[in-house]
Amino acid sequence: MKIRGRKDFRGLLWILPSLLGVSVLYLLPYLDVFRRSFTGAVEEQFTGLDNYRNVLGNTAFLLAVKNTFLFTLVCIPILISAALLCAVLLFGSKYGGILKSAFLMPMALPAVSVALLWRLLFHSQGLVNQWLVWFGTGESDWMNTGKAFWILVAGYIWKNLGYDIILWMAGLSGISESIYEAARVDGAGGWQCFLRITLPNLKSSLYTITVLSFLNSFKVFREVYLVAGDYPHESIYMMQHLFNNWFQSFSFDKLSAAAVMEGGVLLLVILLLQKIWRTD
Amino acid sequence: MKYKSFQRKVCILFSVVLILGSLAGCEKKGTAGNMGSAEEEDVSGRAMGRYMEEELSLPADFSSIYDMKKLEDGSIRMAGCSEDRESVWESKDSGISWEKVYDFPDEIQDNVRYTAVSPGGRIACAYDESRDTDMKEIFYMIEPDGSFGRIPFELPQAEGVNMNLVMQILFVGNEQILIGDAQGIFHLVNAADGSVVRTFEFGSSGKLYLAVAMGKMLLFQSDSEILLYDSETGERKNTGEAMQNGITESGMLRAADTLDVGESIYYVTEQGMYHYRFGGSVVEQLIDGGLNSLGSSSVYVNTLLMLDEGNLLVAESHTNEDAKSKAGLLKFTYSADTPSKPDKELKVYSLYENDSIRQAVSRFQKEHADVYVHFEAALSGEDGMTVSDALKTLTTEIMAGKGPDVLVLDGMPVETYAEKGILRDLSSVIEENKEKYFEDVRNAYRNKQGELCAVPTRFLIPMVQAGSAYYVPDEDFNTFMERAGVLNNMEPKEAVSRFWYSSSAAWRKEDKTLDESRVKEFFGKLKQAYGEPAAPAEENEDSATAGSAQPNRLAEDDIIRGEFKMLEGSWNVSAGLFGTNPDYALLLAVTEQLESGNFGCMPGQAEHVFVPSVTVGISSKGSQPETAEQFVKYLFSGEMQKISQGSGLPVQKEAFRSIIDGHQYEGNTSQVDLEEISFSLVPRTEEEIQKLMGLAESLKTPALQDEVIREAVLEQGEKVLKGEAAPEEAAEAVTQKVNLYLAE
Repeated sequence: MKIRGRKDFRGLLWILPSLLGVSVLYLLPYLDVFRRSFTGAVEEQFTGLDNYRNVLGNTAFLLAVKNTFLFTLVCIPILISAALLCAVLLFGSKYGGILKSAFLMPMALPAVSVALLWRLLFHSQGLVNQWLVWFGTGESDWMNTGKAFWILVAGYIWKNLGYDIILWMAGLSGISESIYEAARVDGAGGWQCFLRITLPNLKSSLYTITVLSFLNSFKVFREVYLVAGDYPHESIYMMQHLFNNWFQSFSFDKLSAAAVMEGGVLLLVILLLQKIWRTD
Repeated sequence: MKYKSFQRKVCILFSVVLILGSLAGCEKKGTAGNMGSAEEEDVSGRAMGRYMEEELSLPADFSSIYDMKKLEDGSIRMAGCSEDRESVWESKDSGISWEKVYDFPDEIQDNVRYTAVSPGGRIACAYDESRDTDMKEIFYMIEPDGSFGRIPFELPQAEGVNMNLVMQILFVGNEQILIGDAQGIFHLVNAADGSVVRTFEFGSSGKLYLAVAMGKMLLFQSDSEILLYDSETGERKNTGEAMQNGITESGMLRAADTLDVGESIYYVTEQGMYHYRFGGSVVEQLIDGGLNSLGSSSVYVNTLLMLDEGNLLVAESHTNEDAKSKAGLLKFTYSADTPSKPDKELKVYSLYENDSIRQAVSRFQKEHADVYVHFEAALSGEDGMTVSDALKTLTTEIMAGKGPDVLVLDGMPVETYAEKGILRDLSSVIEENKEKYFEDVRNAYRNKQGELCAVPTRFLIPMVQAGSAYYVPDEDFNTFMERAGVLNNMEPKEAVSRFWYSSSAAWRKEDKTLDESRVKEFFGKLKQAYGEPAAPAEENEDSATAGSAQPNRLAEDDIIRGEFKMLEGSWNVSAGLFGTNPDYALLLAVTEQLESGNFGCMPGQAEHVFVPSVTVGISSKGSQPETAEQFVKYLFSGEMQKISQGSGLPVQKEAFRSIIDGHQYEGNTSQVDLEEISFSLVPRTEEEIQKLMGLAESLKTPALQDEVIREAVLEQGEKVLKGEAAPEEAAEAVTQKVNLYLAE
C-alpha cells in the first residue's frame, strides 16, 4: 500500500505543471465567468438568474444552439465512418503511407488559405458558378442560402478526415494479426473479421476519436468567420458567432451565462460518453 | 537497472530545464520593464524639462512669413507679406516686438515668388517679370539698408519644356545663394556677379529635393534619402545612418537651422523638433509635436530659427480661415521645471482618422499644458484591421481598465454602448441652449430616460437638387419617386446608398426590430423610379466605390459628386449629403444653372433627416473624467466648431453661419472657372444664408447609422434595382439577416 501511495504521489508531480497551467488559464477564468453569469454586463451588479432567462429567451442563442447541435450531429457520424472506411482500406494497401500523408494535407493548411479557397469557389461570381454556367445549369449564391450549411459540413469533413484516419490506423495497428489468423482458420470471412474482430477492438479508439472530432467541430468557426464575417447566413450561424458578437457589444452578462451552459453541456456529453465506454 | 535510473534522471533534468527556461523567459521580460522604470525613478521620480510654446504677437496681419535669420548683432530680420505688401521687419528682443525696416521696392512688389534672408540681413528674391505672357523669373538682391539691384543670373533653359522655374532659394553664408529649379538642379550662385560656383544634380530619378543650408554645409532631402555636401568643396559628406532612419520614422523635414558651422542640425518634422550631430548614432527628439502646434495638421512650419539651445522661433502658416493673420510666429522656450510629459494623459479613441479631432487635440493640448492628449485612430488602413477587430480590441482595453476616456463614436454601435453603461450621461456636461446650437441635432442620441450618452459635434444634411421638372421642395417620397427619370443613369448601389439616409430613419419599430413593410416600400419605390436596368455597364470607379464601408463613405455620398454628374447631363437629380465639403457657393451656382432649379431636404420615408457626425461620448471606465468633460466641451466651442475639415457642418449656429456665409470673400472676391461651370466666390446674401439656416433648423430626425443594416440593405437593394430580386423578397432577406443581429 505504501509503495502504491508513493507512486500515486509521483504521478501527481508529473501532471502538476500541466494542472497548474490548466487551472490558471482555464479553470480560474471559468470560475470568473461563472460569477459574471449572475451579474450585470459592465457594472457587475448582482442580477440573479436574469442572464440565464434572457439567454434562453434569445432567438439568436436558440438559433446558434440549433445550428451547432445540427452540425455536430451531421458531421461527426459522417466523419468517423468515412475515416474508418478510409483507414481500413489504407491499412491493407501498400500505398497506405503516402495516401495517409495526402489526407493529412488539409489539416496543415492555414485557416486563412482555406477561407480564401472557399471564397474563390463559392462566391456568387466564383469558380463553381462559372463551371455551372458552362454546364448550362443555374447559378447559386452558395454562401447566402441553406446550401452554406452543407458546404460547411463538407469543408469540416475534408479538413479533419486525415487526422481521424491516422487515429483509426493507430487503433488498427494495435490489433494483433494472430487474432485474424485464428479467425480465418475457423472459416471467418473478411466481413465477419471486420464485424467481430476489428470493430470491437477499436472501441477504445472510438471514444478518443469522437471526443477529438467533437472538439474540432468547434474550430470550424474560424473558416466560417473568415468567409462570411460576423453575420453569415442563418444556417451557419454558430455559437462562436454569437459569443464573438456579444463580446464586441459588451454583452458579458449573456456571454457568461451562455458559456456556463455550453460548458456544462459539453462536460455532460463527455462524461456520458466516458460512462458508456466504461460500461461496455 | 543502472541505465533506467540514468534515463529517469535525464528526463527529470530535462523537464526541470524546460520549466525553468519558460519561467525565466517570463521573468526576463518583466525585469526589462522594471529596469526601465527604475532608471527613470532613480533620477528624480519623473523626467523633467520641456519646451513650452508661446504664440508671439505680430505687428500686422501677415499672409506669409518667407524667411528669418538671426544677425550678428543678435537682432532678427524677417521677410514676409503683410497687408498685401512685401516687407522686411526687425526685432531686437528675440521676437517679442517688431519694427518695419522697409517695404520691398515698388518695382518688385506683388510678383515676388521666393525670398530668402541672409545672416548679414540681405534679402534675395525671385521675381516674376512676366506681363500676362510666359513666366520670366529674375533675381534681386536687397541690401540691409533697402537699396537693391539685380543679380546677373538666369536659370538655364530646361530640356524638353518651355521654361524653367525657381522652386527654392536660400542663402549660403552672406555672399552666395542656392537656387533650386524645376529640373531638380541646384545652382550655387555668387550673388555679386551671378557666376555659378557649382551645381548639384541628383540624377534623373524625378525625385523632388528640398535644400537646407547650415553654415557652409548643404543638406538635400528627398522622400527617400538625405545627402550632405560641403558647399566650399562640393564634397559629399556622410550624414550618418541614424538621421536617415530618424527621418524615415518622423516624416519629411519641414525646416532646419543650426547653432554652429554645420556640424549639427536642428530640424522640424510633423512629429516635432529633433537635434542631430552629423555622424552621430542618435537623433534626439527635443520637442514632441503631439504636445503643441508642431504636430497640428492645420499648421505648416515655414522657417525654424534657433536663437540658442533653449530658445527658438518657428514661422508658420495655418489653414484657419477665420484668423486675420494666415501666418504666425511661435516661440519655444525650454523650461527645466516642467515635466517632460504632462502628468495627465487623456486618451481619445476613434475608429477612423479624423482631422477635426486631430486639430482639437492639438489646440486643447496647447491650452492645457498639464494634459497630454493621446489620439488613436484604430483603422489606419495599413495593417488590414477590420472594424470588428478594432471593436474587440477596444472592448478588451475598456474592460481591462486601460481604455480611452473619450470615444469618437462614428461607426460604433452607439445605442448598445449606451445601454451597456459604457458611456456616461452627458446631460450635465452639455447644457441646452437653443439659441446657440441646433439642439435637435445635439439631442440625436437622448434616450427616453432623458440621458444623453453621445452627442454629435457635427452633422450632414441629406439633400436633393434638381430642376423643377424633377424636384419640387417639400414634396413627399412617393410624389418624388413617381416622376420618370429621377434616378436616370445612377448605378443601382449608388442610388440605394444615397436615398438610404432619408428613409432608413423610419424603419425601426418600437421593439427595435426592422419594419419589413417599410423596407419593402422603399425598395418598391426605388425600383419604380429606376425602371428596367440598363445593359450592364463596365464597372466604373463610381460603382466600385459606392456603398463601401470605407472611412470616407460619407464623402462618397457627397452631393457635389451628384452636382457634377448633373452638369455633365448624366443625372437628372443630384442626391447626397451636404456637409462633408460644405461648398455653398457651388450649390447655389449649380442651382442657378438648372431650369427653375432648387434644393432641399431629401424626400424619404422619414422627414427632416440629418446624419450625425463626429459623435462623441465619455467612457464610464475612463481614468480622466474631468479632463474628458473639458475636452468634450471644447469640441463645442466656437473656435473648434468653425474649423471645417470635411467631417460635417457645425452644430453651433454662429459657426454654421460663418462656414456658409462666404465672409472670407469680403473685399476678396474671385472667380471659379471649371469645365462645367463658372461662378463667383462672394459673400452670400442674407436670403441665401437664411435658406440654409432654415433648412438646418428644420432637421429633427437622425438617420439610422448602423453598418450591419446598411450593408444588408445595399446588398439587397442592388439586387432589386438590377431586377435580380423582387422588393418583397429582398425586404424579407434584409429583415431575416438584420433581425438575427438585432436579437443578439
